Amino acid sequence: MSYDSCIEADHYFKKLIENKESIEKAWDFISRTINEGLSCENLDLLISLIPYIEEGDGTLAFQYIGESRRILQALHIIKLERKYEKIPFSIHCNTMEELMEKYLLTLFALRRLQFQPSESAVSDAVYFLSQNKLSVFAIYTITQRDLIIPDSVLYEEILRIYTKVWTTADKEMFLSFTKTK
Amino acid sequence: MNNHKFCFIICTNNQLLLDEAVLYIDSLIVPEGYTVQLLTVKDAASMASGYNEAMAASDAKYKIYMHQDVFILHKNFLVDLLSIFHSDPQIGMIGMVGYERVSDDGLMWHSKRCGTLYQAKPTPPYPSLSQYTYSLYDDGYTYVAQIDGFMMVTAYDYLWNADLLKHWDFYDVYQSLSFLSHGYKIVVPVQSHPWCLHDDGIIADLTNYNYYRQIFMNTHRHILGKHYTEIIQNGT
Repeated sequence: MSYDSCIEADHYFKKLIENKESIEKAWDFISRTINEGLSCENLDLLISLIPYIEEGDGTLAFQYIGESRRILQALHIIKLERKYEKIPFSIHCNTMEELMEKYLLTLFALRRLQFQPSESAVSDAVYFLSQNKLSVFAIYTITQRDLIIPDSVLYEEILRIYTKVWTTADKEMFLSFTKTK
Repeated sequence: MNNHKFCFIICTNNQLLLDEAVLYIDSLIVPEGYTVQLLTVKDAASMASGYNEAMAASDAKYKIYMHQDVFILHKNFLVDLLSIFHSDPQIGMIGMVGYERVSDDGLMWHSKRCGTLYQAKPTPPYPSLSQYTYSLYDDGYTYVAQIDGFMMVTAYDYLWNADLLKHWDFYDVYQSLSFLSHGYKIVVPVQSHPWCLHDDGIIADLTNYNYYRQIFMNTHRHILGKHYTEIIQNGT
């Protein structure tokens, strides 16, 4: 039996139990802030959570609660959209649950384009994406940072779907982001 | 028992994930002469009890126990599973990811892993999925001691240990050992392209995991660190 391996595992679980309360507290703060920010469309309040999760007390939530990773991606998307004055990803989302649902549905749609499970699944995905006018930042962040293996075929298909939605500048930005991917 | 039937069994508490998982199941190629059933167990008391409930409700020979956040990408999945089971009737269970040894500390993932899946951040490039076909002869499979619970395919029915396992952890470890103790082999196909994507975005609360790990380490001390061949030879 490897003594070191057992010590390491025991240490991990000890830390987990020790941190349990702090993790729950951080997650509660994140959830409450997001719900508050969404209900009053306060994008600055939402964006203020980024340093909290990346460098502050929220890192514990990031470490142990998987959902917080996708929350952070969504916040980064909103931050970029705010900076470049695009419609925020959080539009029409009044709660954290609705925000996560939109994120997941977007991810699933992009995955369907990638993995092509069936013709009808793909056309549903195309419909979803074309109805939800997502920004270049949303598409690019999700394809790059989540569980998709993007290739040029996927990016070309996305460009085709958004050809009438994105401006010329948007398309150029998307192409520059994705040309070497 | 219907020898020409598959049954997908999923314990679920999230309709969004379930719907997407089922969409991929519906897209699979069904071997000629076979039928496919889907049983979902909502709000089960535990994974083991949910699986037992569904197992009792299905007459399918081949049962595919999977998490609600698993998406099967490989369209020939069912065809290839059959091919593996038919190659050796002593193969009782197939997983997508497995471990030849039981780890020293009871944590499955601390042992050398075989098989593959899309998980966390994948490293491109994988070969094009549409071009991929599995060959039992060329690719083969690896014998293992344990498989990961995100996907467990069985050809025989054995009760899951619901008396002991009251939560969502360690059912895969105990069920693997149950198959070995009944004299069946467990294999993981060599996948040149991952057959499944496991979207385990929600990190489980591992507090219960540690509780069962301690029990497992106390009751199975004699197999910790052991290779599957030693376990088969000396018993579980």
